[in-house]
Amino acid sequence: MNIQQHKVLIANRGEIAVRILRACRKLGLDFVCVYTAEDVCSGHVALARELGGESGLYRISSYHDANELLSVADDAGATAVHPGYGFFAEDFRFARRVEERGRKLVFIGPSWRVIRELGDKINTKRLARSLGVPTVPGSDRPIYDEMEAEKVARSLFDYQSQQGIARPVVLVKASAGGGGMGIEEVHDLDLFRQVYRRIRNYAMRQFKDDGVLIEQRIMDFNHLEVQILSDRRGRHPVHFGTRNCSIQSTGRQKRLEVAPGFDPSSVEYRFDAAALLDEIVQHSLKMARKVGYDSVGTWEWVVTRDGQPFLMEVNTRIQVENGVSAAISRVKGQPVDLIAEQIRTALGEPLGYSQSDITFRGVGVEYRLIAEDPDSGFAPWVGDIDRFDWTDAEWLSLHTHVPPVTADAPYTIPTEFDPNLALAIVWGKDLEEAGARGLDFLGHLRLEGHDGRGEPLRSNVEFLKNKTGQMLRF
Amino acid sequence: MRDIAEVMAELKAAPYTEKAVVAPHTGVVQFSDVEEGSEVFGPTGEWQEIPGTHIATITRERNPRNIVTAERGILRKVCRELDGTFVEAGTMLALVRHYLTRQEVISRLLMESLYTFCAPERARYYFAPDVDKKVKILGCRTVSVQEGMELFIVSRMKREAPLCYAGPSGIIYEVCFDQNRNVDAGAPLIVVCPPEQEESVEDVISRVEREWSDGE
Repeated sequence: MNIQQHKVLIANRGEIAVRILRACRKLGLDFVCVYTAEDVCSGHVALARELGGESGLYRISSYHDANELLSVADDAGATAVHPGYGFFAEDFRFARRVEERGRKLVFIGPSWRVIRELGDKINTKRLARSLGVPTVPGSDRPIYDEMEAEKVARSLFDYQSQQGIARPVVLVKASAGGGGMGIEEVHDLDLFRQVYRRIRNYAMRQFKDDGVLIEQRIMDFNHLEVQILSDRRGRHPVHFGTRNCSIQSTGRQKRLEVAPGFDPSSVEYRFDAAALLDEIVQHSLKMARKVGYDSVGTWEWVVTRDGQPFLMEVNTRIQVENGVSAAISRVKGQPVDLIAEQIRTALGEPLGYSQSDITFRGVGVEYRLIAEDPDSGFAPWVGDIDRFDWTDAEWLSLHTHVPPVTADAPYTIPTEFDPNLALAIVWGKDLEEAGARGLDFLGHLRLEGHDGRGEPLRSNVEFLKNKTGQMLRF
Repeated sequence: MRDIAEVMAELKAAPYTEKAVVAPHTGVVQFSDVEEGSEVFGPTGEWQEIPGTHIATITRERNPRNIVTAERGILRKVCRELDGTFVEAGTMLALVRHYLTRQEVISRLLMESLYTFCAPERARYYFAPDVDKKVKILGCRTVSVQEGMELFIVSRMKREAPLCYAGPSGIIYEVCFDQNRNVDAGAPLIVVCPPEQEESVEDVISRVEREWSDGE
């Protein structure tokens, strides 16, 4: 089947749906889009209507309902499903069902076996340890029992004390969680049970699985990622460099991402940053080769101030921040769109290039514009937006699902989903230029709430401005 | 707080509600042989184990699902033009006129006469774990609330925050929300009965018993 004969069901919403829509158009593919009652006014619906008409739009009851998505795929004659990120993106059961049902579809993402292998934090940790890849000390399976959880926490406190760490801390994580949700720190073993119960209850409410992981909290670190891509054969994965995602909100939500992960030409580190980046890239590629990784994916790392890397997890999906890696990458001298590459290779085309064809230039910065209040612990802000303007530039790309707004026609932020509003990707020839351009973009940005409300939106922009000076630093 | 007599007069003037039966999800819909104007029923039985009147069947992924009426009433409209077609979630399939029962009238009057604690914003609401346990095991009327008590967990945009109760002390007379659904800002979460109003509750109940007959 020729790639252009495919029709893609975009099983997601918001900004990622907009980007998948555009990637489909770029590849000359037909598409079908879904939306729920809360998203009637979303920009992804308006764009789908504009590019594909009403016939390419289906109202569904929930993005979480696999039956519903597949029934739409059948009715619309879709041949492939793109899950975006979140929802079904890392659900191996959904991927297996898509690929093995009566009327087979292509799952645009890794094969279900790969998702099963790496999508689970525990499996990933075991695989990494078997290959000699360093991982964060902690439990290697989800814990459902309070006594056992406390025992693991106690041993981690003891281990840190033996290492000479003055204030040991452990992390309690929802095993089925992700994206920074359901994680809390424990500084005192006496408070452990209280935190454990809170996370367990949260995990049950949000993920319907109350398994909990307990890990050592690595203090004073940078959060790095390696972007991997491979075609369906999964034999020769390539990488699109590293990203630094250390600037996060108090709730461990990424707010500002930079590519590459470190920049020794602009910032001084206590360790050989270039060698460390190469080390984590090679470890990530080794794991990708071992499992036959066959799509885009991200290997997430923690790097301590003295240059010690630990693998945290693997995200078997396209990441929100894929655009910042693409911004600094060239394939055979040409710009690259990782979502389009993901779709193209998933539909059976070979990669068509090797690592030596990929070059990197400059520094990319991604700002996440989010409806939340940095002055109140980054609590989500609920309300209407009636002004969202920015100044276009050739070094800027902005992705958003917020439709054009005015005072008479504001956009109401739905409370059912993440409060993400937009992603702005800025490129500069070096860190200094990228930072200056970032500040220029933020300085001209007008993001305002309706009826004079929306002070948190302005605070958010100020937060990003303040953090711009701290990029790539410990 | 509104005058009970006034609310009662309003209810007597229009003693029914009209509710649309909608497609719960996408799929191909096949109507049963129900006729417009016929009487339909909601689920019955001690455990509500007998389903309501079968209106249609919706099929997706070879999984048929019966669409039944949730309440007793008269079938005002059946959208037969949709028979055999693929419909989107939320598409109206039928319209039922439901006549208020005594219990529903009492519930509405109590909403007007007792204190209702409303959702401050659109979100999902859960009772705090201890309260939740008590409500599930012993029923809501065993739970006493007072000003400043951490009563709810508010979940929106995947983040959670505690919510304290504000209002008069009393027992939770009725729970008005479903823990797995979003509640709109301003919609009631619980109805609280302060001790001094227990008498007026009895008064409302006896008045409805006297003045209202089911199916009026």
